[in-house]
Amino acid sequence: MHQPLDNSSPGPSRRQLLKGGGLALAGLGAAGLLSGCGGTATASAKDQLRFWHLLSGGDGIKMQAMIDSANQSQGVWHVNPTVLAWGAPYYTKLAMASAGGRPPELAIMHAARVPGYAPGGLMDAWDLGLLAENGVTAEDFAPRIWENSQVDGKVFSIALDSHPFILMYNTEIADKAGALGANGELEEITGPDQFREVATEMAKVTGKHGLSYGYLNDGAQMWRMFYTLYLQHGASMELVPGHKAKVDRDVAVDVLEFIGSLLDDTIATASGDGGTAIAEFAGQNSGMITSGVWELPTMINAGVPLDAMPIPTLFGTPAAYADSHAFVLPHQNSPDEKKRRDSYAFVAQLLKGSLNWAQAGHIPAFQPVVRSAAYKELMPQAHYAGAADIINYDPRAWFTGSGSDFQGFFAENIQNVFLGRTAAKNGWDSFVRRLDTLLSKPNPV
Amino acid sequence: MATTLTTPARTIRPASYVPVRRKKRIAPSRIIATIIVAILAVTWMVPFAWAAITALKSETEAAATPITIVPESGFTFEAFAKVLQQGNIPQWTWNSLFTSAAITLVTIVISALAAYALSRIDFKGRKVLMIVIVVSLIVPPPVLIIPLFYQMVAFNMIDTYWGVILPQVIAPAMVFVLKKFFDQIPRELEDAALVDGAGRIRIFLQIVLPLSRPILAAVAIFVFIGAWNNFLWPFIVTNDSSMLTLPVGLQTIKSAYGIQYAQNMASALLAALPLIVVFLFFQRQIIKGISTTGLAGT
Amino acid sequence: MSASTDIRRVSTPQAPAAENKHAARSRRDRIHGWSFMAPFLLFFGLFLIWPLVHGIFMSFTGKSLTGANSSFLGFANYAEALGDADMWHALGNTLYFTVISTVPLVLVALVMAALVNMGLPAQWLWRLSFFAPYLLASTVVSLFFVWMFNPQLGLINEALAKVGIAPVDWLNNPAVAMWSIVIATLWWTVGFNFLLYLAAMQNIPQAHFEAASLDGAGGWRQFFSITLPQINQTTIMIVILQVLASLKIFDQVYQMTGGGPGGATRTIVQYIFETGFTGYRLGYSAAISYIFFGLIVVVSIAQFAITRKRSA
Repeated sequence: MHQPLDNSSPGPSRRQLLKGGGLALAGLGAAGLLSGCGGTATASAKDQLRFWHLLSGGDGIKMQAMIDSANQSQGVWHVNPTVLAWGAPYYTKLAMASAGGRPPELAIMHAARVPGYAPGGLMDAWDLGLLAENGVTAEDFAPRIWENSQVDGKVFSIALDSHPFILMYNTEIADKAGALGANGELEEITGPDQFREVATEMAKVTGKHGLSYGYLNDGAQMWRMFYTLYLQHGASMELVPGHKAKVDRDVAVDVLEFIGSLLDDTIATASGDGGTAIAEFAGQNSGMITSGVWELPTMINAGVPLDAMPIPTLFGTPAAYADSHAFVLPHQNSPDEKKRRDSYAFVAQLLKGSLNWAQAGHIPAFQPVVRSAAYKELMPQAHYAGAADIINYDPRAWFTGSGSDFQGFFAENIQNVFLGRTAAKNGWDSFVRRLDTLLSKPNPV
Repeated sequence: MATTLTTPARTIRPASYVPVRRKKRIAPSRIIATIIVAILAVTWMVPFAWAAITALKSETEAAATPITIVPESGFTFEAFAKVLQQGNIPQWTWNSLFTSAAITLVTIVISALAAYALSRIDFKGRKVLMIVIVVSLIVPPPVLIIPLFYQMVAFNMIDTYWGVILPQVIAPAMVFVLKKFFDQIPRELEDAALVDGAGRIRIFLQIVLPLSRPILAAVAIFVFIGAWNNFLWPFIVTNDSSMLTLPVGLQTIKSAYGIQYAQNMASALLAALPLIVVFLFFQRQIIKGISTTGLAGT
Repeated sequence: MSASTDIRRVSTPQAPAAENKHAARSRRDRIHGWSFMAPFLLFFGLFLIWPLVHGIFMSFTGKSLTGANSSFLGFANYAEALGDADMWHALGNTLYFTVISTVPLVLVALVMAALVNMGLPAQWLWRLSFFAPYLLASTVVSLFFVWMFNPQLGLINEALAKVGIAPVDWLNNPAVAMWSIVIATLWWTVGFNFLLYLAAMQNIPQAHFEAASLDGAGGWRQFFSITLPQINQTTIMIVILQVLASLKIFDQVYQMTGGGPGGATRTIVQYIFETGFTGYRLGYSAAISYIFFGLIVVVSIAQFAITRKRSA
């Protein structure tokens, strides 16, 4: 391909140069200018709804299928999804799009992120009347979820699900370890020592580890486990701008030390990331995994003899960390009323069809679905549906929520505690110092 | 800065491309040099080759351990087909092509006009303008992203081609490259035309521009490559999937489809393709263009 | 630069009629001059000068992406930034990257150019190989290298395993991550410096080497006593451009590590982006932008001074 160009003449003449760079580019430019105004006008009589979400992997495939069937079910609107990377990239772009005045008509956010968005005017509130017209009312949601959807008395998010941090276990390994009860489910575990014992027994069965827990470079995973156990102590965390963070230091240190005691290379690997943990449990090299509900399909597909439950109450108070995927209306300067109505219709349709979504592991937020017989038969999902009643979202602040800086800060200070390189109290204190700094800064929303 | 500007002018002469003499005896040092360079060149090709091999595997094969060079199930174009079918790559390629071409065109036009005035027309304020433009070379584009974003919101240009194009057309360095070249065009040609009563525009279009084709081509190449590959600004000013340029769009594909190594590599190669093809055809011109304008700064 | 205009002044005619004509011409020149400049100045003013000025204004306010809280704060943002450990960390990372990337990007380019300039066959092939990566968008480079650096499936660890070296966690180990970025950057942009060096070397008059050969100077001697001094000016320019380019690094890092692990590779431009758009604090982020700008100005002036001294 190159030979014809490599004539050994002493450099190109001006004429050649012109023919090369100049003409080609001028041509490109002209062609571009002539036909450049087209854009992506897809010829269709349907209203085009732009819908952003952050669901990838199995969740993404499931969501796409739900969108496709919604699109085919009616002739009024067509939803065009845009998928962006989970975490900071997604939320940054969503805020920029809202501030830029051309945001999508509809988006999915983590419910815990909403308090950081809504007050600044980046989102529009839901019209409860219009929702009711589409058959969706406050009574259709669990109280904890509905409460969380409100900021200053207005509803800014409509939850599709809740996705708590749960415990999945391998029934065969649990059985061999003598941890199953008469009903074939894991026997109730009520304290930290008992949990360690069960895990140690399972480790003996697998010859590898008892518990899989991946956290390396993953602030979200560290936070989910920590916050669940912290809340089980009955402790709380309040983050009010202008004040110091209100936390229970003794409980926090206790929880960190407990988690550290699990990461002893017998019960669980001392330093594993999310991928390692998933592979280990899927490969039946451990008896339990603490993880988000969304990993369920992976485990089912891997053929693990599986059951699941909320994280056992080790410290007295039932509690579980969770977040929700929730629909929001990014702020439009002059919303297109027709498209708004379409968006409501689409959301209502997805909520009513969220049994599909439950297959991806999530607990549907729409109670009529949860109460349905079909859901009660969905195993092992139905076994942890109760978690929806004990869920807790992140403490409210403009910087908290899934994929936020907050979880990043947690990782920066706590990873070394989990790795055994820093004392729990030191890691915790520097994390709290970090929170205090953030709380002392002016609130940008 | 003065030194920046002399070098390109010196290297612009085609004479600088004296081909290497072929008829020397083969010294051992040159054999060793050839071997070293060949090893380096092969090393430099590895990422391309590895991407191509991966892209031609099935997803399961791509993620299999131990890794294979030749997949057991044979090569397949599956990943390319999938990417082209589900992704927005054609749209993004078009967006990149259109915005880069527009940026190149506008940059050339306004820079050449300005460079001509600075080089040839003796008007009041010229010296001050020169100083202002020289000083502006120091402004790093990232410093401007915050106020520029805000400005684009005010102009209602977020998620538009205008928003991508307009802030990218200012190239003070290119103005100086062109000015330096114009300075060297013999004045007599123009003076004769001026005496004949020809206007400035006519002189510019009919005398100066035709003589400046090589430098215009060089500047065009430099600006086009820069615009084609720019990530930060299009990343900030576009959000909607249909408006993204190729580099920005690729960033979203990577995350949206999770771990799909073959498809990731297929997307990357498809994105790399247009400029690589252009390069294969216009290798000399592009290399010359870079050597000419490169030192003027980016 | 001003030689051409001086000539014109000297040749100004003296006769009164001609003086009128001269006045008319200078008026016409003024109109022409500004008309030719107008399109450039329009864009220059709108998209460079105005944002530059407006940004300074923003940096004195609490301006937020959400529109909330845009009160005038005076120097509070700057004071906060100077006490912001994250900003210093990001600035430190940026300087670290600049140092450890500039050295190989200049040296490897020099070696490549020196070797290729020895009169090797198939010149086009070497230029193609070394320069081709420069034509790729940063995103493509990042995709390539994230894949090459993959701990389990990556080619690099596989190659290391073949020679018995333990796998390296290229992008997740805080001590290694920045070096991995340097490797990717070297692969990506060294071809640019290589071309500049090659052009400079090919500009050295052949007579220099012939004379040296007659004096019995060998290849090494010739390289150090002729080639290097002759391309000195090019080296200075390449170093300056490279330092300025490295200070502005954002793309590869953002795409390959997102600034991680634990902020170990977060650069100042990314911090500007994140405080402004992820943290909504446009005013604060503008203040950090101007601190960064100050750094660039200082570096530029330092380099300018060094260049001046050298060439004086």
